[in-house]
Amino acid sequence: MVVQESMSVQKKLEILSDAAKYDVACTSSGINRKGNGKGMGNSIAAGICHTFSADGRCVSLLKVLYTNECIFDCKYCINRSSNDIVRASFTPQEIAELTMEFYRRNYIEGLFLSSGIIISPNHTMELLLEALRLLREVHHFNGYIHCKAIPGADPVLIELLGWYTDRMSVNLELPTAESLKDLAPHKNRKNILKPIRQIQLGRRGHREFLGLPDYKIQQPRLSGPEAGDSDITEIIASDGRMIPFRNRSPVKRNFVPAGQSTQMIIGATKESDYQIMSVAEALYDNFDLKRVFYSAFTNVNRDERLPSTEAGPPLLREHRLYQADWLIRFYGFKTMELLDEQRPNFNVVLDPKCDWALRHLELFPVEVNRADYYTLLRVPGIGTNSAGRIIMARKSAVIDFNDLKRLGVVLKRAVYFITCSGRTMYPIRLEEDFITRQLVALKDQVPQGIDRGVTYRQLSLFDDVNFQPDSRIKMQQAFV
Amino acid sequence: MKHIYLCDNSIDGIFTAIYQAWASRYGHTNIKIEEKSEGSSYSNMELFAEYIPVITEPSLAKKVAKSIKEKISAETFEMVCRVALSDFEGKADLIYRFLILGFAAGCGITEQISNVVVNRMFRINKNVNNEAHHLLGFIRFSEQSNGLLISVIHPRNNVLTIVTPHFADRLPNEKFMIYDENRKLAAFHIPGNSWVIAQVPELERKTLEEFPAYEDEYRALWQTFFEHIAIKERINPRLQRGNLPLRFRGDMTEFHNVR
Repeated sequence: MVVQESMSVQKKLEILSDAAKYDVACTSSGINRKGNGKGMGNSIAAGICHTFSADGRCVSLLKVLYTNECIFDCKYCINRSSNDIVRASFTPQEIAELTMEFYRRNYIEGLFLSSGIIISPNHTMELLLEALRLLREVHHFNGYIHCKAIPGADPVLIELLGWYTDRMSVNLELPTAESLKDLAPHKNRKNILKPIRQIQLGRRGHREFLGLPDYKIQQPRLSGPEAGDSDITEIIASDGRMIPFRNRSPVKRNFVPAGQSTQMIIGATKESDYQIMSVAEALYDNFDLKRVFYSAFTNVNRDERLPSTEAGPPLLREHRLYQADWLIRFYGFKTMELLDEQRPNFNVVLDPKCDWALRHLELFPVEVNRADYYTLLRVPGIGTNSAGRIIMARKSAVIDFNDLKRLGVVLKRAVYFITCSGRTMYPIRLEEDFITRQLVALKDQVPQGIDRGVTYRQLSLFDDVNFQPDSRIKMQQAFV
Repeated sequence: MKHIYLCDNSIDGIFTAIYQAWASRYGHTNIKIEEKSEGSSYSNMELFAEYIPVITEPSLAKKVAKSIKEKISAETFEMVCRVALSDFEGKADLIYRFLILGFAAGCGITEQISNVVVNRMFRINKNVNNEAHHLLGFIRFSEQSNGLLISVIHPRNNVLTIVTPHFADRLPNEKFMIYDENRKLAAFHIPGNSWVIAQVPELERKTLEEFPAYEDEYRALWQTFFEHIAIKERINPRLQRGNLPLRFRGDMTEFHNVR
């Protein structure tokens, strides 16, 4: 391990952005805030992407670690204590200045600060807190701040941090307690869920204090798969023993106004998609989370005890999980409808909604001119936007297939499942095999760029693929 | 015979033409409104048509704006303005057709999105909004030695009026200029004052080239960050191109001579 005392900011930024890149959730959404006319900054609820890195992911916030030194030894993590890598730490001043200067030039929407654990969780949290305090109180920064809460830190520190941030997140890391014990022996699932619960209750308490409505209607507990999740039930039950919450902020701000999120690593352990989605759904239901992020596992440490990702991280699986996540949050689906014990994993060639529709052909076709919003949402090829537009447009006119295309419905998928004024677009057999064949043939079932290995290339007379590695690359470039 | 009103490519120009066309009583089917296309001279004249040049009159334009707000809705007025700022050819005539429907239907017109005219308005409106939203993120300022922040952009639509308020709100204590090189328009903001947009034809390419040449340490830091935030195992240029089209990259710091 190399600890260098006098390192340039340039070098530190290199190391600490490299170390932070595996964190997902670079979003700046969830809060509308006008500028205050004095300090710098405002915020827009839709979020703003400032650039897209070479891997195609949105860069919205300055995503860095405070330090990559860490006392923990989580097997999947590049910063684990047993790795021999260059270690670096920012100072609170450096973080504050970088953020302000980047923000002025409109490079970023705010700061996303996370950290390895240096000395102890409490010590680390104090350093993060100092950086945020400088930003908010000395530089009067009014932009977006997303900060990780360190599990195991004192609840008082977690609450204090909440007053300075817009969004907080605690990483769940792995879906179940067993795999967490295997791969992150220093972490404890209850210690992770506790701050999540604390932040949730803090937000509720503060909203009540402000007289804001409780936007989330409490649904009766499902007797679904999460009922078996003893950690969640236990944390929920222990409400009374949470620390007292102050309704007074040290700064004139709201408590975590943009809500909290979490993330899970996908593909490092043996959990099925069904288990993962059940955990995600339980988190949405019980902890008012804004987002659960899924991160395809990359074996950065080339650790032999973990699955190899030589062929690339499981991006398609990650994609399917996000699709299902959307179905749960915006489309009124439940995990149990999409997956079950018998079919615990998502279909590789079909998206979860098409897959569901094909198993429920008895519900189709849907009459576009009469179906209600949630029925329309169940049709493959109709999303929240186009369903809203259909409802709007049919107030004044009868809709036909040409209109649907103009309203943004993806007809090549929807056509098998809908009628307009009682007619399908052309004679269609409502038959599972036939429709499956048609849908699988569509190119959009597997997203761009993650179809490595299944792409086809035109054979060429000049294809000397095995001849010389150099000429092969040149050849490919010539063809692109 | 067809009567073609040839108007300035501005909100006021289009509104003036709409007022005059409406008042002429030639009948809506015999009227067409054309905006002078950007940059090049008008060369696509129709035969067997009478061309009527329209001189922009703010007082008439104001009347049209008032009627839209009162007889249709304020929301519709904003939508019409955004379409008038777009680079869509034939937008003046489209707005005219839309208003014929709108004055008949009232505020419900924006809901009739299966109608061809309304749908086209809706799409152009969305396109302008999208580009404006993209630019909120993609605009890059570079700092001059005197503290002035300068940004040069090349948008398809005339979105300067839409994006500037956002930056004035965000950076109240900064002097900044956003320059739309395609239209030779610049937005200026000075702390304590509200922002203005002015035509600056005399801003020469040469003066402009001195702007990005100014290097400060944060440009290099940003390029470092941008380079290191990508995960090598997930490199996906197609996805990147879909999210960040190439046309924006010329004006963005992180794509300038990355080492």
